[in-house]
Amino acid sequence: MYNRIAVLRKERGLSRKELADKIGVNFQTVGYLEREEYNPSLDLAFRISECFDLPIEFIFSTKPMKPLSEELLNLKRGV
Amino acid sequence: MNTIQKKRRTAMILNYLSVIVMLVLFYLVKLQVLKMIYLVLEIIPIVVIILTFRNAFIKSSIWKLTHSSSKELDEREMHLVLHATNISYSLFAIAILVIIYVFILSGLGQIDAVLAISLLYFAHILPASVIAWNEKGETLE
Repeated sequence: MYNRIAVLRKERGLSRKELADKIGVNFQTVGYLEREEYNPSLDLAFRISECFDLPIEFIFSTKPMKPLSEELLNLKRGV
Repeated sequence: MNTIQKKRRTAMILNYLSVIVMLVLFYLVKLQVLKMIYLVLEIIPIVVIILTFRNAFIKSSIWKLTHSSSKELDEREMHLVLHATNISYSLFAIAILVIIYVFILSGLGQIDAVLAISLLYFAHILPASVIAWNEKGETLE
């Protein structure tokens, strides 16, 4: 499973500890999630999605995710 | 394998070896292969056990992880501990069977307090050892 947790966390200026507290896990687990070494449960994935206020499919994917800048550019171009 | 993981694995191996050395020394004295005075040497493996235990399990927080209530763990930690406990259960069962056979075949008699305490210690450090062996260093320090 691929995700954008690291990018989104940095974008919001959160530390791993702060994000961990918000989603109710240990800060080390955030590291594992960011490195895609651990796949979250559905419950945790929803908590992360609620925390970032973004749709779950925007954060997680079974296929490698494109950089946000590329997706934005594609949106702008209407691709 | 990173440096932290390498150091932790080394400490863990030394810890197990020290327990074995301590037991071998004890039984050599008990079976009168060595004189009673050699029991003084037990202090060396005991010191190594304490130091390596601190380095491998306490400093890395792995001991705390395997001895915490499930309410204090998140889903990844619970999965980690459960997996480690499953492996430990198999290893411990095999170890106990081997020890029982060795005691029966060698005529060492009953299992004494020293071996019982060592087995109790072994049972407690096994799940932590599985985690210490597999986990990457930076995430647990």
